[in-house]
Amino acid sequence: MLKFLVKKAGTLALVFLGITFLSFCLTYLAPSDPAEIQLNKMGVAPTEELLEQTREEMGLNRPLLVRYGDWLLDVLRGDMGTSLRNGRPVSSELLDALPYTAVLTVLSMAAVLLISIPTGIFCARHKDRAFDLFVRLVTYLFASLPSFFLALAALYLFSVRLGWLPVIASRGAAGVIMPVLVLTLSLSAWYIRQVRGIVLEELSKGYVAGARARGVPERQILFSHVIKNSMAPIVTLAGISLAGLLGGSTIVENIFSWPGLGKLAMDAISARDYPVIQGYVVWLAAIFLAVNFLVDLSYGLMDPRVRKGQEGRT
Amino acid sequence: MTKAKKRALFMCILLAAFLVLVLLGKYLAPNDPYKTDLSHSLEGPSAQFPFGTDNLGRCILSRVLEGASASVFSALVVTGIVFAAGTAIGVAAGYLGGAADQILMKITMIFQAFPSFILAVAVAGILGPGLKNAMISLGVMYWTTYARLARSLVLRLRGEPYIQAARLCGAKRRHILWRHVLPAILPSMVTTGFLDISNVILSMAGLSFLGLGVQAPAAEWGLMISYGRSFLQSGPWCILFPSLALFVTVILFNLTGDCVRDALDVGGGM
Repeated sequence: MLKFLVKKAGTLALVFLGITFLSFCLTYLAPSDPAEIQLNKMGVAPTEELLEQTREEMGLNRPLLVRYGDWLLDVLRGDMGTSLRNGRPVSSELLDALPYTAVLTVLSMAAVLLISIPTGIFCARHKDRAFDLFVRLVTYLFASLPSFFLALAALYLFSVRLGWLPVIASRGAAGVIMPVLVLTLSLSAWYIRQVRGIVLEELSKGYVAGARARGVPERQILFSHVIKNSMAPIVTLAGISLAGLLGGSTIVENIFSWPGLGKLAMDAISARDYPVIQGYVVWLAAIFLAVNFLVDLSYGLMDPRVRKGQEGRT
Repeated sequence: MTKAKKRALFMCILLAAFLVLVLLGKYLAPNDPYKTDLSHSLEGPSAQFPFGTDNLGRCILSRVLEGASASVFSALVVTGIVFAAGTAIGVAAGYLGGAADQILMKITMIFQAFPSFILAVAVAGILGPGLKNAMISLGVMYWTTYARLARSLVLRLRGEPYIQAARLCGAKRRHILWRHVLPAILPSMVTTGFLDISNVILSMAGLSFLGLGVQAPAAEWGLMISYGRSFLQSGPWCILFPSLALFVTVILFNLTGDCVRDALDVGGGM
């Protein structure tokens, strides 16, 4: 187990370094000059000498690798720098946005799983019956709709036509309904299809035919074997979506002016607020690593063979 | 010809006809897509303006037709490039193995760590808005699929008896690659590529929607939808028709992709 953990940690550390370095290079290659942004913000007309001086102060003249090293050390110490826009620490900007994104993530993920897992299983169990065909058609159509169209349609229907919800989302309970609805609809369409496929594949395996031949009731086959065995791929999918949602849903958060991480990132990008973009990338990397790790651990919990493999290598 | 092949052929012809329509869209437009006319501001669908007009009195139908090529062909170009580049990298890694393979797998892992759309937004945002940069950012986001798929297919093939036999007979590496490996992996790759086009189209529209793609006043579907947000109340057709065009395009590509998959008889690619 220990060896497995060490090996895993090594890979994850490599990915972390890779992601942060890559984003660091990207901001380095970017066409605009942070020193110029800084001066403009202070209301100073940038002259060549002033620019040079500011670059010197901000440490922009040092080699890329040195800057990356310094930045990384600061991050490990918990200091992600300050925002170029408002001078606040990047970490508090991120922490302020996080609860909003977390609420969206938890609510929509719960709704998606509650809707898609039973529906997907039911469709697989009653393949090609009327309900399955209907669900397949609807999910096919929904999967082809861009999420921004769904969001605008929801706005039009609930705010403009029915007047149930305000057009500009409040930050309270009423404001969370539409973003969650839109995320749930667009994710569920995809999930139902995936769950259905996974369960169908499991149903076509030899042990199911064997159990049927032995006269094991269909219900028992489904609930005590098939669903159990389908869980590993479903958990993997859920992990990927969880990471994606925790990164903030850029489009949905922007349409509903929901002040989560996706909106923060979008605002930072459009204002070329590099420290915030960098901090956001660190956050993305951290979620990815955490989710990846948890999914791996859950395999061990769900499947004794995997657990043995993880322990066997010690 | 099997039924599946016939259906695939039919869908491909339909898709080709659609692409011709997209290509000729500019010439079919009933009105000038850029002509503003405030006396016809935000009019509903009528004989003169079948899809209505936006707040500047521009004809929505003409703009949808005009924007078709930016929305569809840019996605086709991106898919084509990532398909070729990703396949080449994946085949090289799978076939060469060793350190090259290790490095490639780590790199794809790094790229996949980003939630894909956010990666594209970040790249497009940092490079600055514009169609070319949006295309680059989508390329950065999509190439890993092909590299990983090609690699895994090649790894599976390498152990096949006929490849080993060819090698035993002294066939050159290049000969084996071009004559045996590539033809064998192509069906799965093409299917995946086909089914990916609609994702690229949607992502492209998403980038323009966020203001990171094609810039105003150019006509592009994502941009038009974003622009129409302000007139949700007074002119919902500003959003409805570009969205409908996007929807029909995506459905058409998806259906064709499904039919091609069935015809080539590959189990979904990945």
